[in-house]
Amino acid sequence: MNASKTLEKTLVASPERKLEADADLEIVRKVQGGDVAAFDRLILKYRERVLGIIYNMTSNREDAADLAQDAFIKAFQSINRFQGQASFFTWLYRIAVNSTVTHLRKNRMRSFFSLESVREDDPVSRELIDALTDKTGAGRDSFVRELQEKLNDAMQKLSINHRTVVTLFEIDGLSHQEIAEVMNCSVGTVRSRLHYAKQLLQAELQPYLLK
Amino acid sequence: MKQDTERKITIEDLIRLKKSERPPAEFWSRFESEIRSKQLSAIVNKRPWWHGISRAVMVFNRHQLPFGAAAALALTWMGVHYMGAPSIRVSTPGAAPAAVPHTPAVASSVPAPSAPAIAREERPQAPEEQGAKAASHAEAAVMAASASHLTKAPADIALDAAPKSPFSDGIAVTLADYRQATPDFARRSVFGTDSEFEPTAAAARQSPSEPLARMDPAEERRSRLLAPALPAYSSAATRALASDWMRARSSSDARMYESMDRGSNDRMLVGFRF
Repeated sequence: MNASKTLEKTLVASPERKLEADADLEIVRKVQGGDVAAFDRLILKYRERVLGIIYNMTSNREDAADLAQDAFIKAFQSINRFQGQASFFTWLYRIAVNSTVTHLRKNRMRSFFSLESVREDDPVSRELIDALTDKTGAGRDSFVRELQEKLNDAMQKLSINHRTVVTLFEIDGLSHQEIAEVMNCSVGTVRSRLHYAKQLLQAELQPYLLK
Repeated sequence: MKQDTERKITIEDLIRLKKSERPPAEFWSRFESEIRSKQLSAIVNKRPWWHGISRAVMVFNRHQLPFGAAAALALTWMGVHYMGAPSIRVSTPGAAPAAVPHTPAVASSVPAPSAPAIAREERPQAPEEQGAKAASHAEAAVMAASASHLTKAPADIALDAAPKSPFSDGIAVTLADYRQATPDFARRSVFGTDSEFEPTAAAARQSPSEPLARMDPAEERRSRLLAPALPAYSSAATRALASDWMRARSSSDARMYESMDRGSNDRMLVGFRF
């Protein structure tokens, strides 16, 4: 299949991604055939990831919700133009990132933080928070809140492109190749932006980088 | 802030902490209802017309080279079809070019001015008696040149072009027939025949004397004008004497102007040769 060959080229990630992409393509063919309800499965599958990307780029949950919905609607309206040359999730991510970048550029002077709460049910994040503080109760919560604000503040000091690269690579776990596909740039540019963004974040979050 | 932990905290760890920022469960129910309504409105409402334009522009940007080549081909075809193809004739080895290249032959067939004409041209001024004779010589030379140009040149063209092109053959035959049918064609010129030219030249020589004749004032008018200044004009004898003197003077003036006019006629003839 032509789409599979393209996916081998674009997806450097694990074989699970390939299986996932094939499953997505099958659902997309159904939607293209007129099964509108099949698109709900795609929404359910990707809504958290799309929302996470947009939220980490905007640091505003209301804007993130609206932009995520718009991204899904745009994908739904343009589903007939999707030909399977890239994986569906790469295509969907590109729509979401482009919408977010347009929104951020349009509202450059208006930035309000509206943060979600950090959920400590994830063992990795709980272990990290434990490592950073020995406080319990209100003190711990306030520290987590302060750290969260510092993180978002540091992210917002990055440029839009650097922020997007950091979000896609560090938070969503996309490969360099996939990020290059989503952002329509070269892999070298992705690596360069990632390196520069990490340097800036390290300088901003130096007090929290402890041994 | 606790600083005594053994684990090394990196920037990647801090960034990954943002993964834990998740919305509550009730958020997704609201999200789902909103996206459902938006999806329905997207199905019902048609997309605005400019979305089609932007899509066409995107398609054009994707295939710029084929579109450009097709546009260039279409313009070329329209130019050739509507403006007309350039008249390029493929010449066969046996065929000669058309009559256009024979223009130099026509030009070269015009003879140089004859020796009398040159002598007449170089002579600055001539006496009155010889002026008319010389002018007639010059006219004759010009007429001979123009007549030879018109009679000899087409014949030369026909002889030169005969072996070259069937078209020029036809022209040559037509000209020869016309010359035989109208023998006086050889004596005709673009300025007219000899008989047509002579009255014209004579009229040109005569006409300047008439204004002088007209300028001669009448006797009564002269006496009326000169009476206040010259009282002698009032007597009849002096009046007759004055009129004789004026008549002689006017005749000499007329001769002078006539001689000047012949000179101008000569110059006009020289100008005709060129």
